Amino acid sequence: MTEQYRSRFRTLTDGSDSPPGADHHIFIGPQHPWAEEPAHFIIHLKGERVVEADIRIGFNLRGIEKAMENRTWRQNTMLVPRACGICSAVHQNVYVRVVEKLAGVEDQISERARLIRMFSLEAERVHSHILWYGILAHDAGFDTMLHISWRDREIIMDIVEDFSGNRVNPALMLPGGVKRDIPKDKADKARPMLNKLIKQVEYHKKVFTEEASIRNRLENVGVLTKDDAKITTPNGPTGRGSGLPFDMRKSFPYELYDKIDWNLVCYNEGDILATTLVRIDETLESLQMCNQILDQLESTQGELLARVKPRVPEGSYMARGEAPRGEDIHYGIANGTDKPERYKIRAPSLGNIDATLKRMDGEYVADMPVILRSYDPCFSCTNRVMLINEVTGEKIIMNQDEFARKAIKAKRYNRPFF
Amino acid sequence: MSDALKELEEILNVTLPGNLVEEVVKVEEGHFNVFSNATNAFELMKILREDAGIYHLTTISGVEKDDEFNVCYHIQHRIEDEFREVPINFTVTKIDKNKPKTPSMIDFFVAADYYEREIYDFYGVYFENHPFLQRLILPERWPDDVKPMRKEYGWEQIKEITMKIAKEALEEAKE
Amino acid sequence: MKKVLVMGGEALKNHAKGPVTKHVLKQISDHPPPEDIRTIPRIIEDRCIMCGTCVKVCPSHCLEMEKDDKENGMIWLLKPQCMWCGHCQTYCPVDAIHIDRDPNLSVSLFSFNVRQDYEMLVAKGSYKGDVADKKLQELIDEGGKKIKEIDEFRGA
Repeated sequence: MTEQYRSRFRTLTDGSDSPPGADHHIFIGPQHPWAEEPAHFIIHLKGERVVEADIRIGFNLRGIEKAMENRTWRQNTMLVPRACGICSAVHQNVYVRVVEKLAGVEDQISERARLIRMFSLEAERVHSHILWYGILAHDAGFDTMLHISWRDREIIMDIVEDFSGNRVNPALMLPGGVKRDIPKDKADKARPMLNKLIKQVEYHKKVFTEEASIRNRLENVGVLTKDDAKITTPNGPTGRGSGLPFDMRKSFPYELYDKIDWNLVCYNEGDILATTLVRIDETLESLQMCNQILDQLESTQGELLARVKPRVPEGSYMARGEAPRGEDIHYGIANGTDKPERYKIRAPSLGNIDATLKRMDGEYVADMPVILRSYDPCFSCTNRVMLINEVTGEKIIMNQDEFARKAIKAKRYNRPFF
Repeated sequence: MSDALKELEEILNVTLPGNLVEEVVKVEEGHFNVFSNATNAFELMKILREDAGIYHLTTISGVEKDDEFNVCYHIQHRIEDEFREVPINFTVTKIDKNKPKTPSMIDFFVAADYYEREIYDFYGVYFENHPFLQRLILPERWPDDVKPMRKEYGWEQIKEITMKIAKEALEEAKE
Repeated sequence: MKKVLVMGGEALKNHAKGPVTKHVLKQISDHPPPEDIRTIPRIIEDRCIMCGTCVKVCPSHCLEMEKDDKENGMIWLLKPQCMWCGHCQTYCPVDAIHIDRDPNLSVSLFSFNVRQDYEMLVAKGSYKGDVADKKLQELIDEGGKKIKEIDEFRGA
């Protein structure tokens, strides 16, 4: 088996250890305008076709696992979501489930708290997926779709900000429950917004399935067959696009996912279009789940926060959650004190790299950006910008609207930005 | 034979030989911890991979105990007809701390490559028969003998080493 | 089925609508931050019992304290290091901490002088006044030294 997939063992960056037949070598990254995250890709070509692809990672080691061993379980609740910029809620959710299981309080979490957690997770999935297929369209040279999908993404971002106080890092969860409630007036405000977004996402789906200019770029490109998928073990939408019908919410239900009405999305084609459609369909599913959760919240009452002692008894537990990108796994070991003995995090993107490299074999070099994007290399975004005046050292933080206003004014009256 | 082992065998539809398995613990419904030591782990994994047909490896985590290293393989038994997964934490125990050595599972799972290299980086556990066991995540200038996730290296020490590396890089850049 | 110009209708609609940014100029004054925005913590002096829970649970170590007993003590905050998680508020046993929701705060909040921008949240009893001021000055001087060290390290 290892002979068959030896490609990633060639890590020499100068191309001296090139595969037979390759005549050109393209080096992408670690710093590259295409990629927001530092990763180094080496692509060996013969003419216009890819012979082999390789990757080097590790340019952004922050040492979160080591840092967690030096902090208490309570402090780590707020460190864990920082593991990922955009799927922060799912990391926190998996973490609190580990702590609750170790502390033995998982029966005391009220239904209302669990529903609020689920809303946070589903809203995150919606905004992450919309962001992803916007960028995919951008990589395929279809910028109109990027603008339109990101415009509509603002709807769900506003809802998340309204409920949690933050746009991309809701951080609502704590061991024992949730921090904030979703009151009725806020839920009523969110419902028409969600319905509007459902209409918009249906329109996005129509564009992706019908518009020839985007479909030609995605159809039959980077095909990952089911057998290859079983060997390279992709997870999440990457696997579900190749006919592996495994979603943690169905296959190993957590929170209240087994009590809510939703369908598993799975496509068998294995090309990039299938991966895209998996994500768009999942967005629609998540949005209708959000609506269901808001309906259920009205009739569910309960204590939001159960008491969890700072000292966690000895033991170990592995918990997994379905992040927008795939399966997120945490493995925690407690030693009876208030600090973890060992805490292991694996974010989904690492598990998808193998499959993505496999996808590239024999493809055109022009399809590379789309294929590399297909596993959703994850990055963070917020809409607040910081401006620093280099002369005076003055610092201003402003949001999108303020920024636009200031820029327009500066242009109109022909004066400096500050 | 314990109840948990019996239940696991029923789910996987294989027999796990008693001399290979140290212990099987049922964590919750459909979630098992399997313990085996470094000498028997390879054969046991062979049964799980080839007879039971487990093909999905989620990750591997290294654990430092007082007098030994543990390496935990988080594998999933996938039942496709029922859309169901049975997570199994396959822990390899009794890895000697002075000469940490354990068989590599790359023959069974291609995905094991990255994860085993990561543990080699962080703990210095040597995986036998791994064809390309070298640095994956740590920076190029990182000293070879420092394994940062071991308990002997505290937070402050790691900081010092990082600063030293940064200083060296800066000086080189200046020249 | 593949079609061309599926987004043609959308393009025409947007053409008729005009620029998206036009609403921005109209509503210059009324853009209050959301009601439940998260910012830095504030402590009500009368309620604080100087138990130190907030200091212990703070994930970014931005809160620190000095105290004699529950009537005499002070807690200070390193503003730029605070990541607005609200842990101190959640775990405070006497509900003495609340999150500052002053709309004007959002402009002044982001000072990125991570070494010097301290703020005294509460100073009680004998720590009130001179002691607190002296402590703040000490912290700021110490931060200045650190900034100098870093500049030397960078070779500035």
